[in-house]
Amino acid sequence: MNMALLVVLSILVGFLGSLTGLGGASILIPVLVLFGIPVKEAIASGMVAIIATSSGSASSYVREHITNIRVAMYLEMFTITGAIVGATITTIIHPTYLYFFFAAFLLTSFFKFKESITREFVPAVSQDRLSRWLELHGSYFDEYTKQTVEYKVTNAAAGGAGMLVAGLAAGMLGIGAGAFKVMVHEYILKMPPKVSSTTSNFVIGMTALAGVSVYLFSGLLNLTLMAPMAIGTTIGAVVGGRVLNRMGNRTLRILFFVIVAFLIVQMLYKGVASL
Amino acid sequence: MKANMQGGNESRFEKTIGYLLIVGVIISLLLEIAGVALLYHTYRQIDISQDTSVFIKGHDFFTFVLQQVEGKYAEKSPFILMTAGIIVLVLTPYIRVLASVLHFAWQRNWKYVCITLFVLIVVTLSLTLH
Repeated sequence: MNMALLVVLSILVGFLGSLTGLGGASILIPVLVLFGIPVKEAIASGMVAIIATSSGSASSYVREHITNIRVAMYLEMFTITGAIVGATITTIIHPTYLYFFFAAFLLTSFFKFKESITREFVPAVSQDRLSRWLELHGSYFDEYTKQTVEYKVTNAAAGGAGMLVAGLAAGMLGIGAGAFKVMVHEYILKMPPKVSSTTSNFVIGMTALAGVSVYLFSGLLNLTLMAPMAIGTTIGAVVGGRVLNRMGNRTLRILFFVIVAFLIVQMLYKGVASL
Repeated sequence: MKANMQGGNESRFEKTIGYLLIVGVIISLLLEIAGVALLYHTYRQIDISQDTSVFIKGHDFFTFVLQQVEGKYAEKSPFILMTAGIIVLVLTPYIRVLASVLHFAWQRNWKYVCITLFVLIVVTLSLTLH
């Protein structure tokens, strides 16, 4: 494989990752493994590419006042700790385990997907003491309803624990773990969906930095792999973000199922084959 | 009045952070693109290599940055550009958290000074010790 082909592939994957909400790295790492790239190298490079895609897309949401920066800062304490531990584990363990962990984590995206269809968002009416002390509340202007939405965030301690797990998976597998983070935001912390996904995007950048801090000098960061991945996934994510609103939900659901099912089978196959 | 001033500060801070992130990403990606283009111009091939020279080597991030600035690895310029791209990318969220510490200190919000300082210290230690 050469870098030009990887740029094209990364644009496509970044585009699909943005449309399905899986994120570019979650799709690209199994695809690179399919092309014979060592899984640990793919994970380390994926982590660097995530800083670019998440910072790029988080930028506009922060300026539009949708991201809740205080909630993000609080949750980052947990995600960075998890990411450092997770990345350290990856540098030590046998690659075979990573295939199975990756497949298992992709299964959690199915769960998030099912929940998002069947479960309505229920806003928090009151806050626990820690969430109140941390001033975890906010408001944003919803362009769709043309109304200012005020909200309270609750269950700060449980949310922190959930984000520790999210950070661990992100650091270990070189992914953003956005679907899992959004689940914690919406169902534990009771954040509105728009605030949840944009704040998740913001947190992913810092989590990826923590993961990269471990991978940087581990001998796994390949410049010829990382550069095209970062360029391609960022371009793909930007284009995907613009197309998203024009696509039907049914198309997106089919796309999501086909991609996740393929990735799970591919990682399980690699795992079994390497036993 | 105080609440209005705080709201204005918060909004300015969010705008600054937003621009900081996008500028960092754009500079970084331009460096990566320039590196790939120069690699093709120099070697007439852009294969994904497993040669040891394409892997980043070093001991701690901040010493590594200084060595790059001093031109210690100046023998292969395409890889210097790509490495510079990574450095800018790593520094983008790092500067973002540094700016957050300063913002909350300016607001005298000591709770969030502690929270952001925790993130800054852990990331700095990890960048230094790994």
